[in-house]
Amino acid sequence: MTFSVIARCPRSGRFGIGSASYTMAIGAHCDGAVRPNVGVTVTQSAPLLRNNRLALNLLAQGFTPQQALRVLAENDAHYDYRQIAIVDREGAAVAHTGTHVRQACGQRVGGGFVAVGSMLANDKVLDALVAGFESQSRADLEDRLLNALEAGRDAGGLKGSKGPLPERSVALLVWGKHDYSDIDLRVDLQDGAIAALRRMYVDYKPTAEYYEERARHPRNAIPAMEFADMLKNKQKAMS
Amino acid sequence: MTYSIIARCPHTGRFGVGTTTFSLACGRRNESLRPNVGISKSQAFYLRRIDPFVLNLLAQGYTPAHIARLLEEDDPDFEYRQFGIIDRENNVFAYTGPRIGQWAGQRVGPYYAAYGNGLAGPETVEGIVAGFMSDPDAPLEERLLRGIEGGRDAGGQRFKGQRRPERSAWLRVVDRLDWPRIDLRVDMHDRTVAELRRIFEEFKRCDAYYQECSRDPRNAKPEEVVMSELSAA
Repeated sequence: MTFSVIARCPRSGRFGIGSASYTMAIGAHCDGAVRPNVGVTVTQSAPLLRNNRLALNLLAQGFTPQQALRVLAENDAHYDYRQIAIVDREGAAVAHTGTHVRQACGQRVGGGFVAVGSMLANDKVLDALVAGFESQSRADLEDRLLNALEAGRDAGGLKGSKGPLPERSVALLVWGKHDYSDIDLRVDLQDGAIAALRRMYVDYKPTAEYYEERARHPRNAIPAMEFADMLKNKQKAMS
Repeated sequence: MTYSIIARCPHTGRFGVGTTTFSLACGRRNESLRPNVGISKSQAFYLRRIDPFVLNLLAQGYTPAHIARLLEEDDPDFEYRQFGIIDRENNVFAYTGPRIGQWAGQRVGPYYAAYGNGLAGPETVEGIVAGFMSDPDAPLEERLLRGIEGGRDAGGQRFKGQRRPERSAWLRVVDRLDWPRIDLRVDMHDRTVAELRRIFEEFKRCDAYYQECSRDPRNAKPEEVVMSELSAA
């Protein structure tokens, strides 16, 4: 019911998650799942929120992702129902897909990234996630993660017992050097969630820097509404 | 332009925020609440580093009023900021800088603060408080959502004489655990507060099912079956 890519950007060291799901508000499941200079993780299929912080606490203590995954296994009576991925700051990556996770399901583990999914339309969705992620390997991490989700959707996306299921929620998170996110965008309950997130991302990206700048130098700031109108006119002129 | 209600539930001690604004994805600021420590929600010309800084100071034992003085001492542009802080003993502090521009104001209660900028006027803040206080025995999340609905219905945001749409909204409640009990967002929508209400109602219908799937997935019915049963009901 969910497919995700988690990754460490090899150029910047930033960590991120792209996750799309039939479950509502999948972004709420990503709470505490990224920590700067430590790592990134997800637990899905049957989610377990405690795993996010536990996995990252273990990485922060010096455990390898492999060792951390073993702790999560021993700490959980229902490990066979979970799907888990972990990437650390050296790009070491591991994943687990329990035997009771609903088909089609699986994982692809690469250098510095993991793709995982359950209730997929077919096995090709996982390969598509990887291909989408790798398609612009020099791009910013948030672009690569969004490319991956779109490719996973286009390869068939999700499927339940009665046929195809829509992605109803999506989350895109990237953390850099701060103790708060660089980017954190969500759609919580809407069919066609990935397309909605793409539209939002296009609108959001040029405004993010504006809001940081106006906070640093409020005396010279252009009012937010005027900035929004300027941006709209510029986009109109370009199209 | 933004308006918010932050509160510590007088019955349970849970902390929560309800907020809505013109800019996109206001709910990305998870760093603004910390279980059993407090809330720090800054807005207007806010610096992102302030909320985690304030919560670190609360965790060390500083009072909200003292933290506000520290922030002021350290910030040449303090008069452009707006923020609210609540600690776990119900100490509430709010500040609205005189140089924010557009109409800005606040109301501080015994365990909550309602504040906003770029608003139609004081009626928006009054509307938030009236909504929040309309059922004091309701769960905190319901009260917070009624707060921002009350602000919207009282006139919401205004710039150069025109009503300006709320485009993103956020509802987050933390309890004793490290992760939130409720975290729902609308990041870009023309009727964002109504959309948040729709999502919140759906969340309430599904919440018990999702909690059980996480706790003991062995006997869980397939999700798509449960969802179609719920829509049929």
